[in-house]
Amino acid sequence: MTSASFRAERSPFTWLLEREVVRYLKIWHFTIAGHVVSALLFVLVFGLALGTRIASVEGVPYDRFIVAGLVGQAVLLVGYINGTTSLFEARRDRYLHDVLASPLRWWEVNLALVLGGVIRGVITGVGILAIAIPLTGETVQRPFVLALGAAGALLMAGQVGVLAGAYARTLDHVYSLETLVVLPLGFLGGIFYSVSQLPPLWHALSEVNPVFYIVQTLRIGFLGSGDIPVGVALGVLWAFAIALSVWSLLVFRSGRRLKQ
Amino acid sequence: MPDQARPPALSVRGLTKTYAGGLTAVSGLDLEIERGRFFGLLGPNGAGKTTLIGSVCNLVIPTAGEIRVFGHDHRTREARHLVGLAEQDVNLDRFLSVHETLVYHAGYHGMTRREARRRAGELMELFRLTDKASSPSTELSGGMQRRVLFARALMHRPALLILDEPTAGIDVELRAELWEFIRRLHAAGTTVLLTTHYLEEAEALCEEIALLRAGRVIARDSAAKLRAHYGADDIAGVYRQAMSGAPGSLEAVA
Repeated sequence: MTSASFRAERSPFTWLLEREVVRYLKIWHFTIAGHVVSALLFVLVFGLALGTRIASVEGVPYDRFIVAGLVGQAVLLVGYINGTTSLFEARRDRYLHDVLASPLRWWEVNLALVLGGVIRGVITGVGILAIAIPLTGETVQRPFVLALGAAGALLMAGQVGVLAGAYARTLDHVYSLETLVVLPLGFLGGIFYSVSQLPPLWHALSEVNPVFYIVQTLRIGFLGSGDIPVGVALGVLWAFAIALSVWSLLVFRSGRRLKQ
Repeated sequence: MPDQARPPALSVRGLTKTYAGGLTAVSGLDLEIERGRFFGLLGPNGAGKTTLIGSVCNLVIPTAGEIRVFGHDHRTREARHLVGLAEQDVNLDRFLSVHETLVYHAGYHGMTRREARRRAGELMELFRLTDKASSPSTELSGGMQRRVLFARALMHRPALLILDEPTAGIDVELRAELWEFIRRLHAAGTTVLLTTHYLEEAEALCEEIALLRAGRVIARDSAAKLRAHYGADDIAGVYRQAMSGAPGSLEAVA
């Protein structure tokens, strides 16, 4: 027994992924429904209530215009919260030790945590759209772009959460990052406006905001066009997603943020 | 000559760990534990016991040295599967019930769901946790949480069981119960590495004891030989002398 190679009868990775998903599904009314309701409130208030007083944006009714951005914002926020809640708390309360001391490989741990966030983002995004589409009459003009953009956004959001979960030292760090970085980047990413309406300086600043590319790819997917060409939007979004993934994998491979 | 075909349960060579703040917790530590031993590791707080255990279990990144578990490098999946760890601090997943805690642990070690559930049921019954199967682990009493930690460490049937201060803060009755269970496990062939501040327990249970001070093993032998060497009545007397660095300290025995 003690000299044989380790052979799993069921992949430890699938167990960890299951644990990640079970964790938030147990409290779905907070972890899923809360974000769906929050995004829908924006649709109702800004789109349907105030939207009647706002001229259409580039020919698109305002309630339809903001849906893509709201989905992007929700996905980003969910990815961030999922990664930080799952990994930061596992580090703080040291039940991560049970995972680190097991035969799980470092990349399996990373992948399970990120995929956990991705799945939560998918459920949340679908939940928002399931209600927002009938309300606003939103349509999908370019499904392939939408799929690629959503995949990039989900990966980026999952990795942001896992990285924040790995680096945060206190709960204050987690909340501060959410309030001071994630939410402002979302609101300044063009959810509620077209950057073509902005003065040149703000326009330029928008283009260094990664959330801007999430919003643009999703908006091009839904509406058929955005503020920038589709190739640029997808290219920059995926470049951010891949860069974050490489960073995250390096952190997990070295183990320095997870172990002492 | 070491037996290549039957390597020791644990072999530590030149282990050094210096933390980011500059503290060196262990320095050039060598330790070998034969298969099937009940081995005690004694030392004051800060002696390096938990750092040693963390290094063995992939929780601490050693600065230098080599660790082998039944001949496998400690970082391999094989080595990690062979070790079961019940830590000093209660570190239970707050999102999971007792039953889930055990089942997912088994899953991380590659068990099927059916086998994981069967084994969890067996251990919950053994540790009288069945009534609490659906309760969140973190809502149990301290003694109950200790039972869950024990059960979790045993879920995947480790060949080397590491118990870091396992009876800290639990009542006498549960302590006696746990030791009886560990004795039976050891008799069935499991190697046990125990750290404890209850010296009389170490003396009664362990076939061999190592004394750790400032990150080094300063003495190691059976309780009887340590007592004889120090001329002490019990292991507490040995401990006091060894830790005070009194003449006749056991570097020679180590």
